[in-house]
Amino acid sequence: MTTPQRGLEQPIIAEGLERVFGSGERAVRAVDGVDLSVERGEIFGFLGPNGAGKSTTVRMLTTLLRPTGGTARVAGFDVVKESDAVRRSIGVALQDAAIDPLMTGAELLHLQAILYGLPRGEHTQRVGDLLERVGLSAAGDRRVGTYSGGMRRRLDLALALIHEPTVLFLDEPTTGLDPMSRMALWDEIRRLNDDGTTVLLTTQYLEEADQLADRVAIIDHGRIVSRGRPADLKAGVGAPTLFIVVDPAQVESASAVLTAFGELRPTAEGTLGVGLVDGAAGVSAVVRALDDAGVQVQNLELKAPSLDDVFAEATGHRLEGAS
Amino acid sequence: MTVAAPQQVIALSRRSVQSIVRQPSVVVPSMVFPLFFVALGTSSFARAISIPGFPVVDSFLDFALAGSIVQGVLFGSITSATALATDIETGFFDRLLLTPSPRVGILVGRLAGAMAYGLAQTIFFVLVLFPFGLSIKSGIVGLTAMVIGGLLTALAVGAVMSAMALRTGSSEAVQGSFPLLFVLLFFSSAFFPRQTMDGIYRQIANLNPVSYLVEGFRSLTIGELTTVAVAQTMLIPAAIAVGGLALSLRSLRRRVAAA
Repeated sequence: MTTPQRGLEQPIIAEGLERVFGSGERAVRAVDGVDLSVERGEIFGFLGPNGAGKSTTVRMLTTLLRPTGGTARVAGFDVVKESDAVRRSIGVALQDAAIDPLMTGAELLHLQAILYGLPRGEHTQRVGDLLERVGLSAAGDRRVGTYSGGMRRRLDLALALIHEPTVLFLDEPTTGLDPMSRMALWDEIRRLNDDGTTVLLTTQYLEEADQLADRVAIIDHGRIVSRGRPADLKAGVGAPTLFIVVDPAQVESASAVLTAFGELRPTAEGTLGVGLVDGAAGVSAVVRALDDAGVQVQNLELKAPSLDDVFAEATGHRLEGAS
Repeated sequence: MTVAAPQQVIALSRRSVQSIVRQPSVVVPSMVFPLFFVALGTSSFARAISIPGFPVVDSFLDFALAGSIVQGVLFGSITSATALATDIETGFFDRLLLTPSPRVGILVGRLAGAMAYGLAQTIFFVLVLFPFGLSIKSGIVGLTAMVIGGLLTALAVGAVMSAMALRTGSSEAVQGSFPLLFVLLFFSSAFFPRQTMDGIYRQIANLNPVSYLVEGFRSLTIGELTTVAVAQTMLIPAAIAVGGLALSLRSLRRRVAAA
């Protein structure tokens, strides 16, 4: 029996990956020793706030940016020494890679087919299939400048799939999309994954990671602070969080009351959070205690553990723009 | 950097030409303004050809053609380099880098597009001005040399400007060179012969390579076909192109390596 190739079983491996911008006192360590191991056929969510190092990591894994430390192999190839082979194996949809607004969707796909060296006779069929797959058949001959944000993202996905890659990198694929477009793209990502494509997806949307990812890694300030299956990570948080909004002048006295019911948790400004050990059954006791202490509750919400709680527990602050 | 496959360069060149043609606001200045200058000069300075020292020409129109070709190609090449800088700004350059296609193809495609546009401009100016009495004294061979010269001029200017685009990654920086090109053009023999100039203006025109570029085209328009005229029309832009290509390839390597 032969041992499966490392690259095929784990199409994305990074060890101690680093990227420092600038030098001396002005050096910025955007990615600081990231270890990743993505299994074949999984959707791996890379979750973190803006500026956490998600896109920089993806740019290194997709050969656009040279690491300043550590190593990474994608589809079995070293991202620095075998960058051409990496590029042939992966599909990439980058958040900040624009689509030429003067070209039509079909023209862009044809150009992509040529740049990937696909056999000429297959171009038309492949372009037609992809346009149909992402629901752009009717708009294929229109200039991209006339497309909506959702249509552009779907075309972006089609461009990444032109050479039928086995590993797909999606950098914040649904940022800025309306809920309908977002869900349509989620469905497409699931279909691709069902067909066997390994997907690494960066996102700042908790729900997106929760819905799509088999495993997630949470990154903050260039370091991975937590990783695992979303369900396991959330179970690790334990108690649900009770979010309470009180008068700003009464925050201190409210905090003192809440500590008796569980551990205080980081929240957005203006809100208090406590990990409620007794769960829903403990809410009425909290309300009574706050009332006895003369604290006026303006709003109150009990939430089951979420990836945001995982993030907050690992970093001490909530994910910016968390949903 | 390996040599790009021809079909990839052709596809990128086609995109480059398409992006020019699909923006009328970009085409108009480089196609219409030079003709506007010719029309203005021909009507305002028709008698200037009698000034002592002015080359022997049938009409000011014959004299002005060379300036219009160089002016048009200069401005057209800015368009091409601006598009390259815009690709960098918007991230389309990254999209191209993500493909296994050789990096040099990105530059070659842009330059090939600029050359195709320069060729089209030269032919366009000649065709438009023929009905107004333009005559090419060096005949069809000279005209062919001029068309090749137009193409090489586009390559030369396109390469230099592309180096700037790759170095700065800023379309504003590339467009900011527009006034500089205008100064180079006006302080040359593009609109008047050096023989009729005086003082510092003449000294600058004598040092300005654009003067010699223009005079190559002009000698083929108003004079007989000579080896010197053909060589001047094609070799001056070719020499600038060699330098420009070296510069732009270096800039491309630096940009890709900086990643």
